[in-house]
Amino acid sequence: MKSSLVTTVKKNALKGVAAVFMACALVGLMACSSSKQENAQQGTTSSSDSSYTLVTKGHLTVVAELGFQPFEYFEGNSTTPVGFDVDLITEIAKRLNLEVTYLPNQKFDTLVPTIKQGGKADVAIAGITITDERSQEVDFTTSYLDSNQSLVVKSGSTETEQTLNDASKKVVVQTGTSGEDWAKENLPKATIVSVDDVAAAMAGVQTGLYDAMVIDLPVASNLISTSYSDLTIAKEIPTGEQYGIVVSKDNPALTEAINKVLADMEKDGTMTALKTKWFGSNI
Amino acid sequence: MIALLHKTMSGQQLSLCMSSASFKAESAPQSTAYNSAKSKLSHNRAYSSLLVVLLATLLLSGLFFMSLSVFSVQGAFALTTNKATTKSNQTEGNGVIGGKETRLTWEGTVEDEQVFQLTLQLPEGSDLQSATTKVTVLSGLTREKIEATASVQGTQVVISFATPVDAQKLIRVEISGMKFPADGGSYTVEGTYTTEQGTQKLASSPEITIIPNTPVQALVNWLDAQPWVEAWNSNHFLGMFLKPQLIVSSVVMLFPGWLVCLAIVICAYPVAIVLGMGFALLKISKNPLLRALAVVYINLLRGTPFFLQIYILFFGLPMLNINLDTNLLGFIVVAINSSAYLSEIFRAGIQSIPQGQYEAASSLGMNRLQTMTFIIIPQTIRRVIPPLTSDFITSYKDTSLLSSVGVMELMMFAKNLTTSTGNMTPYMTAALFYLAITLPLIKVVGTIEKRMEQSETGKTAIVAASKTQALSKEGN
Repeated sequence: MKSSLVTTVKKNALKGVAAVFMACALVGLMACSSSKQENAQQGTTSSSDSSYTLVTKGHLTVVAELGFQPFEYFEGNSTTPVGFDVDLITEIAKRLNLEVTYLPNQKFDTLVPTIKQGGKADVAIAGITITDERSQEVDFTTSYLDSNQSLVVKSGSTETEQTLNDASKKVVVQTGTSGEDWAKENLPKATIVSVDDVAAAMAGVQTGLYDAMVIDLPVASNLISTSYSDLTIAKEIPTGEQYGIVVSKDNPALTEAINKVLADMEKDGTMTALKTKWFGSNI
Repeated sequence: MIALLHKTMSGQQLSLCMSSASFKAESAPQSTAYNSAKSKLSHNRAYSSLLVVLLATLLLSGLFFMSLSVFSVQGAFALTTNKATTKSNQTEGNGVIGGKETRLTWEGTVEDEQVFQLTLQLPEGSDLQSATTKVTVLSGLTREKIEATASVQGTQVVISFATPVDAQKLIRVEISGMKFPADGGSYTVEGTYTTEQGTQKLASSPEITIIPNTPVQALVNWLDAQPWVEAWNSNHFLGMFLKPQLIVSSVVMLFPGWLVCLAIVICAYPVAIVLGMGFALLKISKNPLLRALAVVYINLLRGTPFFLQIYILFFGLPMLNINLDTNLLGFIVVAINSSAYLSEIFRAGIQSIPQGQYEAASSLGMNRLQTMTFIIIPQTIRRVIPPLTSDFITSYKDTSLLSSVGVMELMMFAKNLTTSTGNMTPYMTAALFYLAITLPLIKVVGTIEKRMEQSETGKTAIVAASKTQALSKEGN
């Protein structure tokens, strides 16, 4: 008799615990959704231009993959990103009376989904090529830089586009990049290996783990001249792709505001100055 | 000889002169060939005109014989066709399926003259209804600011340039959202271009192989048409994580990755067991040096993340000029990592055998080796089977980390598929593949443990069982 009492009490207690959990979860959920709404409202009303929304009031929250020298990278032991893109977005924010906040480093292939999903960052700028596929998910600002692809191999290697298109060859690319697209389409027989960061890919080519890498030409030139002297560009691939800043489709006013600033910067020479600073010439 | 003829067919003075120069076996360097040939021509006008006539005859016959070959004819075009490629639209492979949206990229270089208009003729039966065309004109690596308007007429894409495209410029046409004929087959992209000289035919592009619908793709298409699938996918969460179409295609696509995972861990584990047992014995040996060796090995490996060990091995070994296959490297790193954990499991197993067993063995006159082989280790094996299986499960799951260094295993395939589709479903399918192995093993561990409890404690298990029965009765 006693034991049965104990079990019923136990059962009830369990039920109680479960109920408390449920309640907590519900309250938590509600709190989450309401705080999100509040944030959005705050953003709308507080920014200098009330037509666009921001994740955090007064801040332009930027998400990027921060291993893309000279566009965004860490110099030495510094923890604040530097680079052409960083300078550009800082200038844009300044002209919009906003402060730039960079989110922690994120994988390249997650940038577009992050902006599409919303709530975390306002813009993504990380040498992102404007493509039709991406344009279906998010909006792009007008392009701010023309770029090309390159085929990077070890110095002294005799690999060419033709020899690499072979089942025995491994070509490394950064996941989700236009370089990956190019490699898959133009080297269909080779094994295309996608890795998350450029440094790992470059080191892999250096050590012979991979036969070649396909990566944006400005990044390849920069990295080879600064840190990977034993690599070389086997082929410059003219793709004429263009980089744009990614903004959510729900935030067209922000895209417009940035486009206006970009046009101004082009007109007053700031853009040329920035390009000269980072690339030595106005590319 | 034929190569020489092709060169001349481009109609360029330079190559014509060069070929006549080489006819006379001139050994002048190439850069001056033009000038030297020119002077020779003026001196021996009659001789050279004879040569030209001869050449022309040869040319004509050459043209006749080689007209079937695309490459040979290419030299005669003011706008050459460099390539025509298509983006893969197959989720479970890298082929291009007919009747499904893809992106065609055509590239050509303007050799001479100026190109005003370009018309690409896509294969009969292609669908261009929702296609968008992007035209890029490049001079070297620099984009040209040339306005181009593209319009679709049936299976033709007509591109007009606001300003004519000069020689040496590259024209790239990207047609997104187009569909090749559903039956598949080999196709070429044809077309015409317009210069001041009029409209001429383009060289055919290299062949593009289009595969007809695969059974998997057919199932995916069937799912596409189902209303319940649409309703299911309209829910943000379900559509993002459990999209039925992607579950189907990802199961097929992830399968080879799963085999790689299994192969690595199944090959690595026996090696890890042997290594682990070896280090376990070293750790309990009486020699302090051997003990120290085992302690260093085990602690270093157990004390550092597996991820780090992978990086060190994958980037370290090639630096030492040891180039191994990535799958082999994966096998090695899994074996080494598991061996450290296993040696601790074995050591604990050996030390859990009561001292009485050693005493009993020595009373039978066994030496240490005999005691270990016949008395202790057999008993240990039984005891370590459950933790060993748990560790196997861990190792199997840890193979996923190898994806970061390019081993084409399950996680890598899932990651690639997620990237190309922008959907999380492949990860869920990968989870199913992992669970297909881990769940049965977890069950096995549970069963073995229960059996061992029964055999070691005799009646306890039966008593426990009757207790639960009694409790459940009372509860009712």
